[in-house]
Amino acid sequence: MPEKRDVEIKSRADTLNLITPEIRPWPVTPPPSPEEVMKVYAKRKAEEFGQWLEDNVRFEYGFGKAEALQGFKVLDIGLWRLGHKFASSLLGEAGAEVVAIEPPKGDPLRNLTPFGREEYMLADKETGEKCGLDFISDMVNKHSVTLDVETPDGQEVFKKLAKHADVVVDGMLPGYMDKLGIGYRQLKEINPRLVYCWVGLRGSWGPMKDRTSKFGQWEVEPFAQATNGYIASTGFPQDFLPRGKGGDPTRHGVWLADYIAGEQAAVNILASLYWRDQFSGEGQFLEMTSAEALMDIIDFDYAWYGFNASIKSRTGGWDPNLNQYEWNPCKDGYMMIGGQSDRLWYRIGMCIERDYPQFGRLIHEDPFLKEVGARNALHALIKTYTVTTRWLREINRVQAEEKLMDYEIAAGPILYIDEVCEFPHFKYRPWVNTCETDYGTVLYPTTPNCYQQRTPHRLKWMGRRLGKDNYEILRRWIGVSPSRVDELKGKGVI
Amino acid sequence: MAELIKSKEELEEAKIPYEEFCRKAFDPGNEWSKPEALKGIRWLSCTMYIFTPHSAANLAELGAEVIKIEIPRMGDAMRHTSPFNEAYLYPLHDTRPMTGTGFGFLGANVNELYLSMDYHIPEMRDVFYRLVEMSDGLTELYRPGTFDRWKMSYRTLQKINPRFIYVWGGGFGYGPKVFGGSYDILGQAHAGFASITGMHEHMGGHATKSTNWVIDWASGTLIAYGVLAAIHWRRKTGLGTMIEFSQVQTPTRFSGYSVPIYGRFGIVRQRWGNWDTQLCAHGIILCGKSDYPDAQNPQDKFDARYVMVSAFQDRDFQELCNITGQKPLFDKYKAHKDRVEALAQVEVYLALEKWAADKTRSQVVKAMTDAGILAYPVMNDREVYESPHYRERGTIRWMDDPLYGDILNMSGYSTGHLSKTPRKVSWIWRPVGADNVKIYRDMLGYPISKVEEWYAKAWI
Repeated sequence: MPEKRDVEIKSRADTLNLITPEIRPWPVTPPPSPEEVMKVYAKRKAEEFGQWLEDNVRFEYGFGKAEALQGFKVLDIGLWRLGHKFASSLLGEAGAEVVAIEPPKGDPLRNLTPFGREEYMLADKETGEKCGLDFISDMVNKHSVTLDVETPDGQEVFKKLAKHADVVVDGMLPGYMDKLGIGYRQLKEINPRLVYCWVGLRGSWGPMKDRTSKFGQWEVEPFAQATNGYIASTGFPQDFLPRGKGGDPTRHGVWLADYIAGEQAAVNILASLYWRDQFSGEGQFLEMTSAEALMDIIDFDYAWYGFNASIKSRTGGWDPNLNQYEWNPCKDGYMMIGGQSDRLWYRIGMCIERDYPQFGRLIHEDPFLKEVGARNALHALIKTYTVTTRWLREINRVQAEEKLMDYEIAAGPILYIDEVCEFPHFKYRPWVNTCETDYGTVLYPTTPNCYQQRTPHRLKWMGRRLGKDNYEILRRWIGVSPSRVDELKGKGVI
Repeated sequence: MAELIKSKEELEEAKIPYEEFCRKAFDPGNEWSKPEALKGIRWLSCTMYIFTPHSAANLAELGAEVIKIEIPRMGDAMRHTSPFNEAYLYPLHDTRPMTGTGFGFLGANVNELYLSMDYHIPEMRDVFYRLVEMSDGLTELYRPGTFDRWKMSYRTLQKINPRFIYVWGGGFGYGPKVFGGSYDILGQAHAGFASITGMHEHMGGHATKSTNWVIDWASGTLIAYGVLAAIHWRRKTGLGTMIEFSQVQTPTRFSGYSVPIYGRFGIVRQRWGNWDTQLCAHGIILCGKSDYPDAQNPQDKFDARYVMVSAFQDRDFQELCNITGQKPLFDKYKAHKDRVEALAQVEVYLALEKWAADKTRSQVVKAMTDAGILAYPVMNDREVYESPHYRERGTIRWMDDPLYGDILNMSGYSTGHLSKTPRKVSWIWRPVGADNVKIYRDMLGYPISKVEEWYAKAWI
């Protein structure tokens, strides 16, 4: 644990010099102590409950506890995308034994790095082989096995593995596995208990099913966001910012729809396993797509179109359903403020009025804004947020947060990644943690399911060197001898 | 040898084209002829807004019986939200015929039974305990310690029902910010998503919010995942558990390389607009003309101008440069490593937008598709609704809700296809307390006079 430093952060400028290599490694300052936290519990007379809660669900006790999915075996095969990878990461975090199968050349995702910068890839400690950070961080608790399933030998090995598997997660192109004779149709014959889940972008069937370019390039995110309405309604409208300079439909920064598909695939897989084990003894065939999984949670948008032909437009950092519920610029970044009920609405106003008395006259005394529902009308949002931002523009995030916290309002600054990692509460639990991987120490976000009384999910290791577990898994699952593995290696199958 | 002899149907199934096989296996529209995966699971949903309700709705779509418990006569706060205050379905409750439930409530509470109960009232606590005894678990979202004060936390309930799975879902959980309130938007703001989404400052943009309450929904799904894993463990051991779930943590988990690159190199990931930090060309470009210049709706008229184009592999990029008249660009950036550099990306996309400046969106998509390059229009809600793809797959469909009639529904059926135990949507929601009699009398055995008394006192 590093020494405690006296760092006073009043604005973004004060944090910028904390990210230099001399000051790190993380964390720059130690997390709050349990004694300090106990004082927080005491404020609401919850010391006893707080202590009980920490005794039962604390992160640090996780490794002493059982794993919920212990005994389930999962095969994961796929390239390029995160959907199938995230699904099997989740299964691995909950204790299933997951084997990720890659072609002998490896998943191309291993080679991706921001802006092509090789210096931001990590080198394997033994071989020096480099790997991209997205791949390392989205391959949680998975064994790495290489196999060329396009060869008869490879197909035979895959079939034998699948005979022992409870789950196959397939992230290949539509019908690819079927064509090779190792898709659901064929595997269910040798393993009727198998739950087989294809995870793709828009579908393995239907007029807009997943496709490749003439040259074989895959479609990857954000194609899913683009074709399910998400991007069209995310971003700033041209009335806020000029088109082409910020006022455009906007994709999410990450391959969002893949994550959503991954988690829903994991849910459907566990439900199918429950049905198998509890009732039927049978496996089944599942399909999950990124575009549709994200569409499922795109609020009410399609129903609204069905209701009165509204096509949801972009509203930037605002929300068309709630007032106040938005973020707006302040002096050193953006400040998020939320509170819709009358109680919170007036509390926000009282806070702002302290510095800026006009707010009360312009907002609280406006008869139109007195009714909760009416406040969501577009012109009401424009007026409220214009006046709120007039207050925000004079102050930094830290000041705004302090002022709003005095009134117990759910508000918070937009934090940059370094600030996220250093946020005291996040460090205390911790929401980011370090793991000593084959690629050295890696800072990673912990899974939100790791705070549980009996079977917390957990990260044991991250991405691995290609084919690291060939010998072990092939021996343990299907009894292949090391010399046979070498032979297959010689043939280029492994 | 009996198992080797296959029926004619099976033999045929092995021969038909793959796409047809999938269509037949999933058979959209025929969900009701198949069983439910989570039959027999009963879940209590003491929840509001989107996040915790969605954890229970996820189970309800898969066939669990979910009892939603709401504040008498008021209901879930989310019932009172609707986009621009436009869309409501009536009534909210039988005492409030002129108040409706807004579309904000949609999709987060499907298929559930609606119970109302004021659990502040000590007399109602025993009723609540009866429910706990006959249920598999519960999701609640109150401030930490609130249920404990009411003797309804896991500390108490595990003694009543050791098989009980108890979920607290909230913003922060134990720790210094334990009492901090939270919303979806706070998760987006606080945990990294906002700082990496939107146009870069130099492109003139701001931190951008997802159009939907993505962290609420996604966190709810992760709870459902945690619950199902716990149910598997309970099948072995007979023991329940407590899950403490903080939604603010979810976006950090979804942020890919952002945290590792900070931890190792001190690089703070920034927004990169409609382009991709790791692939090029792989971004959204603006075309000169709208596809529907005469449309009435401004979303069609002004905004049908964006194309997602992807040609990051060398041959694709070469072809892209060929058809857009940018051969020098290919010569300059032959290697992916070079063209994915930040300044190269600026050059590539600006050149593409310049080429597209006199074209409509569909002209651009057609030119690229004809050349074998991947491109799709950025589709708005109307286009997605009208797309035959989602229609055929049953993803978006009109449903006849038992109380509210025709609803264009996209939730549930879009959450993956299951060949043997598909998700189903019976109803979107019901009014506050609609199932009070069914549960208080039929399930828990209280006489109707008692139920009426509670109702009159507004305890239920």
